[in-house]
Amino acid sequence: MSPDEKQIALSVSGNGNVPNASERAKARAFKFRMWWPYYLMLAPGIVYFLVFHYFPIYQAKLAFQDFRIFGDNVWVGLKYFEALLGSPAFYQVLLNTLIISTMKMVFFFPVPILLALLVNEVRGSSLRRFIQSAIYLPHFLSWVVVAGIFIAALSPSSGVFNEMRGWLGLAPHGFMTDSGAIRWVVVFSSIWQASGWDSLLYFAAIMAIDPQLYDAAEMDGANRWQKIIHVTLPGIAPTIATLFILNVGLFLNAGFDQVFNLANDAVRDQIDIIDTYVYRIGLQSGQFSLATAAGLFKGAIGMLMIVAAHTIAKRLTGKGVW
Amino acid sequence: MARSRQSRFERVEQVIIVSTLLLMAVTTIQPILNLVAISFSEPGQVPGMSGLAVLPNGFSLDVWALLLNHPGVQRGILNSLFITISGTVLNITFTTLMAWALSRPSLPGRRVLFVFVLITIVFEPGLIPDYFVVRDLGLLNTYWSVILYKMVNAWYLIILVRFFEDVPKELLEAAELDGANPFQTLWKVVLPLTRPALATITLFYLVYHWNEFLRPMIYLTDKSMHPLQVVLRQFVVEGDKLSMVGIDAMSNYEQAGQISIRALNAGMIVLTILPILAVYPLILKFFTKGTMSGALKG
Repeated sequence: MSPDEKQIALSVSGNGNVPNASERAKARAFKFRMWWPYYLMLAPGIVYFLVFHYFPIYQAKLAFQDFRIFGDNVWVGLKYFEALLGSPAFYQVLLNTLIISTMKMVFFFPVPILLALLVNEVRGSSLRRFIQSAIYLPHFLSWVVVAGIFIAALSPSSGVFNEMRGWLGLAPHGFMTDSGAIRWVVVFSSIWQASGWDSLLYFAAIMAIDPQLYDAAEMDGANRWQKIIHVTLPGIAPTIATLFILNVGLFLNAGFDQVFNLANDAVRDQIDIIDTYVYRIGLQSGQFSLATAAGLFKGAIGMLMIVAAHTIAKRLTGKGVW
Repeated sequence: MARSRQSRFERVEQVIIVSTLLLMAVTTIQPILNLVAISFSEPGQVPGMSGLAVLPNGFSLDVWALLLNHPGVQRGILNSLFITISGTVLNITFTTLMAWALSRPSLPGRRVLFVFVLITIVFEPGLIPDYFVVRDLGLLNTYWSVILYKMVNAWYLIILVRFFEDVPKELLEAAELDGANPFQTLWKVVLPLTRPALATITLFYLVYHWNEFLRPMIYLTDKSMHPLQVVLRQFVVEGDKLSMVGIDAMSNYEQAGQISIRALNAGMIVLTILPILAVYPLILKFFTKGTMSGALKG
């Protein structure tokens, strides 16, 4: 799930209108004559979801089969899940996924909140608009492009980052190929690409706070920081909580596009996550059953985490994610 | 006294806040401006150029001429445009139709259909089953594989349903009394009233299609069908220079010291983000407003 989707998830919480009894009875009476045009409109979408979302669920049976190029696949039960969980390679990949997700949770998650708080303190709408237009932009660039920009900016010979290190008398360093640094490159590139746009959501929440609360705080003699701590932060706390829980739910999505494009042979074992592992062993090495098992493992755990996160969110904030 | 001291303190705070944010803004756009500057610089000047430069060193279109005359890049541009435009038209058509039906509160089976859509958000079986479905449908190496794959985005569908639900009931009833069928009501009443939401979602889809690289890379083994992102990835990320420039041309450029790989990289990246930069003002206008109101709705 992308940041956009997270935002939309937040915005669509609440339930749809439930038809009342008389409406229902009326609808039943004229059912066919009245509703068939709507079912006609729904048909292409339903077919689409069946073919491209439900049929793959059925196809995931491959995780329980030996893949045969000729003839029928053979059912083998949990063989591939056992192979997966017994394999040191998968253990490393799982560990990488958890490490990168945790690093993002600790070092990325607070940044959009801080950005929104800072942007809110900027008086002068043209200055504010300039800052916002600049920091939102990278969200709309693909990770192929962002990787290209980072490869250029971190280049030991001509990159701006090493040039600045040179001013401090430090030797140029190839961060993209340093297995000790690459996870930090992943975290930092996340901040560069997504923190601005993610801050928009918190900014919207700040805008929704009743201005009278600020006036009242001012009357009580609150300064800027006191207003932030006693009015703004409590005002956006539900948003922070919901997004935090949503992030927990998406914990195993450590960022396929990002890692896929930032990885190279020198650092791959440090940042290979479940999704890139599935791609590599499935589509590159042709171990379809093992890769499907890995994908299914991630899907199942992910689904559990999303449902758990949603339940917790509903308990805590009174509204769910959908 | 206390008052003026506090205001001076506040002014210092203000300077710190604004300069922090300006620094972030500069850090965000400087690397992009640097690549733009490199791509328009005199090729001979590029190897010595600072990564901090935001203005071209001399002015030349040599890099651009080379890129735009390259058959792989030309095909990439056309493929990207085709996939993006046809994909978005299909996206918006079917998302709108489905959202309109789902927004009718008394539609029989409405709740079941919502669950039907939500399940697909929660459970994703993964890349390999997706690949087999596309293969079994015989869509490999057709544009359909990448266009149809995300025909209706469940999230955008749901947000559109919420917007359609906000259209005043009286207007819909008036249209129905005038004898409009559901298609006419959608076209004449609902769509004009929800234009900002539609524009937002159209832009979401446009950006999605333009930026997609993975499915085209997997599903289109025929290189002549590759969109720009895949061409860019091969060149910049995988560092496969030969397929791009060709051995003869490559040695020519390197020997003459004319066009460096660095300049070609920069040009390729800038070329790929050009359409995004072109629609970015629109994005700011619609996306931010749409997302803001969307967030406030919840």
